[in-house]
Amino acid sequence: MSGASGLAWRALHALVRALLCLQRALLACLRGRAAAAAATSCALLAPAARALGFREARAAWRRRGPARGGAARGRQRWRADGRALRKLPVHVGLVVTEEEPSYADMASLVVWCMAVGISYVSVYDHNGIFKRNNSRLMDEILKQQQELLGLDCSKYTSEFANHDKNGQVLNCQSTLKVLSPEDGKADIVKAAQNFCQLVAQQQRTHSDLDVNMLDNLLSSTNGFPDPDLVLKFGPVDSTLGFLPWHIRLTEIISLPSHLNVSYEDFFSALHHYAACEQRWGK
Amino acid sequence: MSWIREGELTIIERFCANIIKAGPMPKHVAFIMDGNRRYAQKCHVERQQGHSQGFDKLAQTLRWCLNLGIREVTVYAFSIENFKRSKEEVDGLMDLARQKFSRLLEEQENLKKHGVCIRVLGDLPLLPVDIQELIAQAVLATRNYNKCFLNVCFAYTSRHEISNAVREMAWGVEQGLLEP
Repeated sequence: MSGASGLAWRALHALVRALLCLQRALLACLRGRAAAAAATSCALLAPAARALGFREARAAWRRRGPARGGAARGRQRWRADGRALRKLPVHVGLVVTEEEPSYADMASLVVWCMAVGISYVSVYDHNGIFKRNNSRLMDEILKQQQELLGLDCSKYTSEFANHDKNGQVLNCQSTLKVLSPEDGKADIVKAAQNFCQLVAQQQRTHSDLDVNMLDNLLSSTNGFPDPDLVLKFGPVDSTLGFLPWHIRLTEIISLPSHLNVSYEDFFSALHHYAACEQRWGK
Repeated sequence: MSWIREGELTIIERFCANIIKAGPMPKHVAFIMDGNRRYAQKCHVERQQGHSQGFDKLAQTLRWCLNLGIREVTVYAFSIENFKRSKEEVDGLMDLARQKFSRLLEEQENLKKHGVCIRVLGDLPLLPVDIQELIAQAVLATRNYNKCFLNVCFAYTSRHEISNAVREMAWGVEQGLLEP
């Protein structure tokens, strides 16, 4: 890059970046002021703080953990939140594009999904970190289920042990899958190889393969419907290989980060989904 | 040329283009043609008019890509899912395709001048036979050009595309050309 055009490009680029930084700083400042006001009385006003939606107050409440009775009330309220939406996704994909994933924040998101009544949840990062550290994520989820929803998870532990590693039942209503890039393109390749083996053994002909057959041959999301909604966290404008076959009609909503994400951010995305018009090509 | 609007950029456009070209540029841009019907509703015109104007805007966009040195452009023009629309709308879109592909064939010289290689991707047997013939002619006529590439996705869905690829591989295995 050289010459007058190059200099002009650099100047324009710097100006755009400065404007974006300013916008982010302003937003953070507005939120910070609001949270500081609520934090002083957050002990008394925890439910109100939740309703008004202040991140810091929520985090403090989350760490302390409500009493069992309180959790039952919280559970009902969350379920009511879900029912109040015009439509609720059946399967939500939580896609993290940031390099350093946070187990606590991801666990919160999973538990919130369960709490509002979402039946299928999948978690994805393009480095496969969550998948490799599946047990750490599950521990965090169980802990938060206990804290936020007061769910006695001990009766489900035998289910975790016996359940096949493709999905984990979190409670009677929700199932979780932890996915990585090998469940995307690589799964399609495997399905193609398997089909070609059958053809080589003359158990199938090439004309047997259509969209439905290939769909059935994929194994990464057995028993799960296609995602209705993907919540994508982080600055990258790509789903980075998350289930490319399955997201043909998925609504994708981007959030700036999963770090310290608030219930209000999460619910606002669900609200956005509920309001969107889906024509399915019609 | 109907598909790529004639005319060079204005001075201001050229100035902006030079600045943008100084930075990193994509080599391949894909366009999803969305919003024709909403545009028609906003302007109180017929849907068909919306689609037609959508095409005109595409032609202008292709000109900009050419000027910016973007050599490969893909256009998602019609999805297999769009066959679910009313017969009237689907017939209208097919008529538009008929018109535009015929026009393309009348402008062979311009295609040669710009070196545009046209490729059409999709489940073409789903289309009316006369359109399949027009497409075949356009693709064959431009197959050796290589200055820029225009991929038109027509009767396309990614799942059909992937299944088709796997089916072709399976055919290769049947023929003994590939080992699984």
